[in-house]
Formats: sequence, structure tokens, C-alpha cells
Amino acid sequence: MKRLPVERVSEFPAGERRILKIGRRSIGIFNADGRYYAVLNNCPHHGAPLCLGSIEGTMLPSQPHDYVYGREGRILKCPWHGYEFDLETGRSIYDEKKGLRVKIYRVVVEDDWVVLYH
Amino acid sequence: MHPYFADGINDLTPFLPEVWRRRIGVESSWAQHVNAASLSLPGNTMYINASGSLRRDTVHDGKVPASDPEIVRRQLLDEYQIDRAILVGAPLLGLGAIPDPDLAAALASAYNDWLSERWLQAEKRYRGGLIVAPQDPQQAAAEIERVGDRPGMVMVVIPLTDILMGDRHYYPIYDAAQSRGLPVAVHPASTEGIFVKGPRMAGTPTYYVEWHTGLTQVHQSNLMSLVCNGVFERFTDLKYIIIEGGFAWAIDIMLRLDSDWKALRTEVPWVKRRPSEYVRDHIRFTTQPFVEVKRHDHLIALLDMLEADRTLLFSSDYPHWDFDNPTRALARVPDEMRTRIFSTNAQEVFGEKLE
Repeated sequence: MKRLPVERVSEFPAGERRILKIGRRSIGIFNADGRYYAVLNNCPHHGAPLCLGSIEGTMLPSQPHDYVYGREGRILKCPWHGYEFDLETGRSIYDEKKGLRVKIYRVVVEDDWVVLYH
Repeated sequence: MHPYFADGINDLTPFLPEVWRRRIGVESSWAQHVNAASLSLPGNTMYINASGSLRRDTVHDGKVPASDPEIVRRQLLDEYQIDRAILVGAPLLGLGAIPDPDLAAALASAYNDWLSERWLQAEKRYRGGLIVAPQDPQQAAAEIERVGDRPGMVMVVIPLTDILMGDRHYYPIYDAAQSRGLPVAVHPASTEGIFVKGPRMAGTPTYYVEWHTGLTQVHQSNLMSLVCNGVFERFTDLKYIIIEGGFAWAIDIMLRLDSDWKALRTEVPWVKRRPSEYVRDHIRFTTQPFVEVKRHDHLIALLDMLEADRTLLFSSDYPHWDFDNPTRALARVPDEMRTRIFSTNAQEVFGEKLE
């Protein structure tokens, strides 16, 4: 496990993202409303640049004809086919038990720095 | 691949004769917000795609996706080492829903001129489908005469309308296309179930996801119409390409049509061979969106039953949301078949016009 300081907390405000090339991998780091997440920038579906997608909530599974919006700021939506991935688990929303998963990485704040462990 | 207008119908107006510029309505920004003030090309404004309809990463510098030949060159041709991209103009696909046949024909001609000038002359790897308005087949045949020999034109795109494709209405178009060695091609119109003169679906879907998955219904009906009306007996060299209409459904149709035909052939005695043979000899299906089949043996069986090594042509559908990545979408297809789908079948269908 390697430790990589990414940016000072003060320089990495909410709503922003960084996409870093680390060796042969591309990894996206997000500040979603104060929480930091890191995701492999490669969609398991067709290899799209997943981290160019939008951070949103989702329509939660609901009763027929009912819409319940939730998990705001927790979902990364792929820019190609729109697959949604939970930023906390890397699991796809269409089937969180057995569906596609994207690799996620640990990112923490240490001494005012956003630090990625990869 | 779908080229888009950078500025809507305004991209087309320079190529329209003045009488038609006047005809399509007021030229000012407020006109787009007032019904009946200016023409909007028919399309789907009703069913909204939850994934945004276009790949988000095809937006560059705030430009409309696929509106800049240079960006497409980099993001599609160079990125995936594509040798030939055949352009099918997205905004004109709903042309068949326009009630005025002369307006539709004028727009088709303007589009063909736009395509030649803005795209085909910009990059050697682009090829074009010339578009004809289906409402008036005589004007359509004349348009094929006018632009069919232009460098880069490889097929005739016929926007779908409310007449099935086997109907004698289309024969002047098939005749003109066949004489020039051009295959004809169809594609979802975006007007299905929305406009009265668009192709009819079986019922009115509630949701985009139903609508989109259900678009294959239209191609099923058209395929049966072509075969049962004997279009391929009348036009023995004609090839008909179903772009983005799916393909797995064709297995079911071929099986059942073959069975029915054996019993009922006296109604259509001009169908001299099994219906499925006409499909394999004359009809081609593009691959996108490819089927995502869990079991490999199921995928192979499906492709076998369709004779996919002859009948499939690769397509990406760039820049749409359901774009098929050429390096991934067909990864599980056996190598030899994949090569045929990626290039050989297209070379056979389009011939030297592809070179």
C-alpha cells in the first residue's frame, strides 16, 4: 500500500475532483460535499473514463410509480451508459450484491492533506 | 456514427434555397420558444433518457457532441484506429414524419450538401449515407441521381415513415439505389409512437426505457414486409441495412416466417425461397447495441443462428449514450467472426465505395 498526498484540504474544495495518473492507472479523487472518495478511472462495463461522470444521488428502489430521490452526493454516474456506482463501496446500483464493481481506494485527511492510499 | 449540427437547423439553412428558408419560419431566437413560429426537425422530445442520451465526454469546449469533424477524428477514428466511419445524420432521422413531401425533400437535399461539404471533404476516412425523403419516391430517386455518385457516398438512408418498407411506394427508391450499387439503410427515427407519420409501435410506451427497447418492433415489421412483398425478388442486388435496430429478434422472426411460409406460400407465391434465405442474402444488421449475454455458449449459439459472420456489421453509435466501445463490445466473439464483423462484411456490402 503506497501513500500519496494529493492536495491540501484548503485547495480541494467541495464539488471538485482530481484525476491522477499513477503508474499505468488513472485514479479519480473526489470531494463530494466534504467527503473524499477515490475510484479507478475505468468503468468495469466498457472501460469508459468513469471519473469524468457526474456525482449525484439516485432514484431509490421504490413502490410502482413512486419516485424517492436519495443518496445525494454518493453516486458516480458513468458518462457513457450511465451506470451508477456507489462511491463508498464501488458497487453498481442496479445490483449491489452481484453487479459490476469498480475499484475504490482509501482516501483520508491527515494533517490538512488529502491523502490517497493505493 | 452520428454527426450533429452545431447550431440546430441553422447549420442547414445556408444550404436551403431561399424559398425554403422562408418556408421554415422566423429566423430569430424567440421563435424557437413559440410553437409554429419556426420548424423543429421531428424527433423525440417526449421520452427522456435517464443517462442523458449522449456520452458526456463527447462534449468539448461546450460544443454539441459530434458537431466538429476534427474532434470526432481524434476521439473516434484515431482513438480506436477506425479506417472508415459511415456517417448517418442524427437530426434528419425523423424526416419521415413531416407531412409536406416537398419540405422534406428540400431538407434532405440541403443535408446531403452539408454532409459533403462539412464532413466528407474534411477527412478521408469519413463516408456518408445520403438521405432521401421517403414521402415522395420520385423526388427521392431524383436526389439519388443528383448526389449518389458524389465521392464518399456509400448508401441511401431512408428515414422511416408510416408506410412499411416492403410497400411498392418505395420501389422507385430501391430501383435508383440498386442501379447505383448503393445499399439502402434504415435507423430508428426518434418519431416512433410520437408523431402520426412516424413509424407505428405496438402501443404507446410510458417510459423511455420501454420505448428504446421496443424500437425493434418497427424493424421486425419492416423486415417481414420486405420479404413478403418480394422486394428481394424484384431487386435482386439490393442490400438493406438495419442500423441500430437490434438483431437477436431476427432469429425468432426467421424461424416463424419460414414455418408460416411453407404452409401459406400461395398467398405470396413470389417468395420462392425460404424467407430466412432472403434475410441472410440481403439484410444486414449493425451490432450496436451488442447483446450482453451471460453464458458464452448462448452467445455463440445466437450468433450462429443469425449467421453473424455474414449478416453483422460493426457500429459504434458515437456519440450516443449506448455507444459500443470497439475494443470491448465484441470481445467475446470468436476472432475470425469478429474480423468479418469489423471489416470484411462491410467491404462486401459497400464494395469499392469504401476504398
